[in-house]
Amino acid sequence: MRYDSITDAIGDTPLVRIDPAVHGLRHIDLYAKLEMLNPFGSVKDRAAWNMARPGLPDAVRRGATIVELSSGNTAKALAVIAGMHGLPFKSVTNRMRVPEIKELLLLLGAEIEELPGRSECLDPTDTEDPLTLFHQELTRPGRPSLHTDQYFNDLNTAAHAAGTGPEIIADLDGRAPDWFVACVGTAGSSTGVARALRAHDPAVRVVGLVGEKSDFIPGIRTLDEVHEVGLFDPATYDTIEAVAADDALDGMLTLIRRCGLLAGPTGGAAYHGAVRHLRPLDAESAGAAGADGRRRTAVFIVCDRVESYLGYVRERRPELLGRPPARNSVATLTDAEIRATTVIDTTDARKWIAAERPLVVDLRGPFAYAALHIDGSINIVDELFDELLRGGLPFSKRQPVLLACPVGEKSVRYAALLTRMGHPDVRSLAGGIIAWRDAGAPLVRD
Amino acid sequence: MNGALQLEPHLEPPLATVLRAPAFLHTLVDALGSPLNIVLPDRIAANVGRFRAVHGRHSLAGQVYFAHKANRSRALVRRLAATDAGIDVASLGELQHALGAGFTPDRIVATGPKDPQFRWLAARTGVTVSVDGEGELAGLAALVRRHGLAPVRVLLRLSGFEAAASGIRVRSRQSRFGTSVTLLDGLLDAVERHRDAVEPVGVGHHLDTTSLDEKALALEGALHAMDALRRRGFRPRAVDIGGGFGVNYLADGAAWDRYTTALTHAVLGSRPPLTWGGHGYGLRAEGGTLRGALGLYPAHRPLAGAAYLDALLARPAPSLGGRPLGTLLLENLYDLYSEPGRALVDQCGLSLARVLEVRSTAAGDRLVRLAMTADDVSLEEHGVLMDPVLVPRDGPGPAADDDAGCDGTGSDGGGPGAHGVYLTGSLCLESDLITRRAVFLPRPPRPGDLLAFANTAGYCMDFSATRAQAQPVAHKVAAWEEDGSWRWCLDEQYWPLTPSGGLTA
Repeated sequence: MRYDSITDAIGDTPLVRIDPAVHGLRHIDLYAKLEMLNPFGSVKDRAAWNMARPGLPDAVRRGATIVELSSGNTAKALAVIAGMHGLPFKSVTNRMRVPEIKELLLLLGAEIEELPGRSECLDPTDTEDPLTLFHQELTRPGRPSLHTDQYFNDLNTAAHAAGTGPEIIADLDGRAPDWFVACVGTAGSSTGVARALRAHDPAVRVVGLVGEKSDFIPGIRTLDEVHEVGLFDPATYDTIEAVAADDALDGMLTLIRRCGLLAGPTGGAAYHGAVRHLRPLDAESAGAAGADGRRRTAVFIVCDRVESYLGYVRERRPELLGRPPARNSVATLTDAEIRATTVIDTTDARKWIAAERPLVVDLRGPFAYAALHIDGSINIVDELFDELLRGGLPFSKRQPVLLACPVGEKSVRYAALLTRMGHPDVRSLAGGIIAWRDAGAPLVRD
Repeated sequence: MNGALQLEPHLEPPLATVLRAPAFLHTLVDALGSPLNIVLPDRIAANVGRFRAVHGRHSLAGQVYFAHKANRSRALVRRLAATDAGIDVASLGELQHALGAGFTPDRIVATGPKDPQFRWLAARTGVTVSVDGEGELAGLAALVRRHGLAPVRVLLRLSGFEAAASGIRVRSRQSRFGTSVTLLDGLLDAVERHRDAVEPVGVGHHLDTTSLDEKALALEGALHAMDALRRRGFRPRAVDIGGGFGVNYLADGAAWDRYTTALTHAVLGSRPPLTWGGHGYGLRAEGGTLRGALGLYPAHRPLAGAAYLDALLARPAPSLGGRPLGTLLLENLYDLYSEPGRALVDQCGLSLARVLEVRSTAAGDRLVRLAMTADDVSLEEHGVLMDPVLVPRDGPGPAADDDAGCDGTGSDGGGPGAHGVYLTGSLCLESDLITRRAVFLPRPPRPGDLLAFANTAGYCMDFSATRAQAQPVAHKVAAWEEDGSWRWCLDEQYWPLTPSGGLTA
C-alpha cells in the first residue's frame, strides 16, 4: 500500500471478531472495530483530519494556531497534523489527568494550557467560567487561530458517518450489525456511525456508554458531562449505560491478554459494556436466532492503544505492573538490623569527621543539597543510592562512611543495609541534617 | 429518578451526638431564641491533631494556623489557644481577640489587607506578618524604625506561580493578593534594603482553588523562591502554603452524584424543577446543550482537610527532580506552615432555627418559614448544598401528614417518604430564601420543630449575619459533653478549663 501522505492512511481500519470462547455469547457474533490502528493511534484521527482539513490553506496563509479543547487523542492527532503543515498547535484542557499523554503531546510539539480549578471559597456571583474566557480569547484580534471545536463541529460526526459507519457495513457483507456499542466522548463517532448504520437499517440498536460520575475513564464523559457536548443528542442512543473504571480495566485486560488487541481503557470499557448489555439478550435470542435462521452481530469500537495509559494502570492496579523484589533492598531489613546500626549525634559526628575523615554521603535531593550541606560531603540522592546498592558495595570497606538524610530515618536504614553487605564502619547521623542545623553546626553553600 | 434526592450531612461526634439530644436543643432555643448557633470547641482540638499527624507522617516541623475569619467564636479560639496550634488573623479585632484568648505572638500570623492600627499592634506585639508586597514592607519597616521596635518577622506573600518552561501553562485564578513571582527580585531588593527592620522567615501563598495541581505548582514555586532568599544570604525557615483544604459535607457520594444529575436534567427541562423559579446554580440550557458552570461547592469530597494536605505533600515537583513536595520541604530543612479555616472547624458547630409556618402555594410548592434569615446560615451563599436535620418538638416518631395531597414537590424526586420543601426566611424580601432548592425531609416539618443546619462552623454560621429589618441575630453558645450529659455556656463565657468548661476553675 503506497500513500503520498500519512493522512491518506487514516480510516479503513480492520473489523476483528472476538473469539466466542472469550465473551461467552452463544448466538451473537461480537466484532471490534480497531480504530486504534489509525496512523496517529486513535479513532480521533478521522475527526481531527476532517475538521482541520478545510481550514488548513487559510490557516497556513494567516499563520494561525490550531486550537482545541482536548486532553487526549484529538490533541494528539491535531498536533501531528499541525506539525505537518508548519502550524503551531495549542491544546487547552480542564486538567490533563494522564501524564503519558501530556508528555507525548509535548514531544509532538504541542503547547498545553490548563484551565484553573474551582474556587475553594465559592463566590456565586462569579459567573465567568473558564470556558467563556477561552472563547473570548479565541475571538481577540491579532491572534489568528483555527478552532476545530470538536464538541460542536458537525465535521466530527461527518467523518464517521462517511467513514467508520460504511466501513462496518461493508465488512459485514453489506449488513448493519444488530447492535452498535460505543463510548461517548465528543459523541462524534457514536453519532456518526449510528447515522450511517440506521440509514442502512433502521432496526440497529445503539448503546452509548458513559463513565460513572465519581469515576474517571480517559476519553469518556460522565452522565452529566455528556450534556455539555453540542454533538450529543440523547435520541441517538437506544440506551445509555454507565461503566466503572474498574470494569473498563477488566475489559482492557481481557482484550489485551486473551484477544491480542492492545486496547486502552476506553476500548476496555466498550468491550465490557457490550458484553454486559448483550448477555441477557443472548439468552433470549436463543429462540430468535432459530426463527429467522440468522446469527446476530454486534460491533464495538476500540478507540486507542494501551501504551499511553501505564500511569493510569499503575495508579489503579499497581499489582498488574508489579516487579520482583530487588536484591540488597532496604525493604528486606529487619527491625533488629536497624536497631543494631551505629548512629552518632552531631557532636560526635563532627569529632569523627575531624579525626578520621569519613566519606559523608548526603542522601537528600540535589536541590536541597546545593542550597545547604555539610562541608566536604558528597550528594547521592536516595533513589540513586538505592539503585547503586543493588549492584553491590559502591565504596571500599576501608573507607569509613557517614550517611545523612533530613531526620536520620532513611540514613539509618541504608547504614543497616551497608552493614549487612559487609561494610565494617558505616554510621548514620542521628536526627539528620535538621539536628545538625539545630545544634548550630555549620552548613555551607558552595 | 432512581433513588431519593436527599443530601444528608456527614456527621461525626460530637456533632452527631448532640443532634441525638433533641430535648437539649429545644431547651436552648426556648431559652435563647431562634436562630441559635452552637459551637463544639473540643472538636477543633481534635482537628488540629489530624493536621499534626500529617506533619508527623512527613517528618515535618512547622505550625497549623487557624484562619480565624472562618468563625468569630470566642470559645473555638480559646479552646484552640489551649492546644499547640497557631492562628491566622486578618483584622485588628481578630488580632486583639487572639491575644486576649491566650495566643502568644510567636503563634500568630497577621495576613490580609491591614489598616495602620492592625499593622501597629502586629509590629508592637511581635507577631509574624505576611506582607503583600514592597509597599507594605516599606511601611512596616518605617513603623519599626520610627518607634524603635524589634525587627518584625515577615512572610513574603507570593502569587502568580507558573510552571517552569515545559510547554505546559497552568492557568490559575487571578489573585488580588501577594506579589507576582515574576517580581520576586525587586521584592528581595526591598527586603535587603530593610534588613535592619524586617526578618524574612519565609514565603507564603494562598490559592483559592480546589485543584491539587495548582497548589502543587505554587508550593514548587515557593521552594524556588526560598532558594532565591537563601542565595541572598538570608536563612528563611518556613513555607506557608495557606489553606483551602476543603471539607466533605455529605454522607454519601452517590447521593451527591444523583442530585447533581437530577439538577442537570431539571435545567435541561427533562424533569420537573428542583429549585425555586428554575434556578440553575450557574447552569443553563441553550438549544438542548448544557452551558455555564455549576456554581456549587463540591459538597462530597473524598479528599479533604488533613488528607488533602497529605496528598499535596505527596505530589512530585517536576522541576526539582520529581521528588515529592513533602520530601523537598524536609530535605531543605524548611518548616511547613498552613492556614486551614473551613477544614479546621469541620464538624465544630451547627445552626438551629425554629419552624414558624408550613404552607402550600397555589402551584403546589410547600414553603417552610423559619425564624431566621438567609444571612444567618449562609449555606446558599457559599454554594454548600446540604439538608438540615429535622429535630421534632415532640421527640421522634412518625407524624400524621396533615395536608397530604397538596404536596407537589414532595411527590416527585424525593423517593418514598420524602417531603420536598422550600425553606424561607423571616425577612420581608422575595430573595430571603434559606434554600433556593427543595430539600427533602423525612416528614413534613410542623410549627415548633427545629431544623438543625449541621457543620456550619466554617463560613456558614454567622459570617454574613446582619440586623436587617431589626431581626434578632443568633446567640452563640459553646457545648460539650461531660459525664454523659450535655453542658453549655454562652460563647463569650467559655474558657477551656476542662472538665467543666469554664463553670468552675
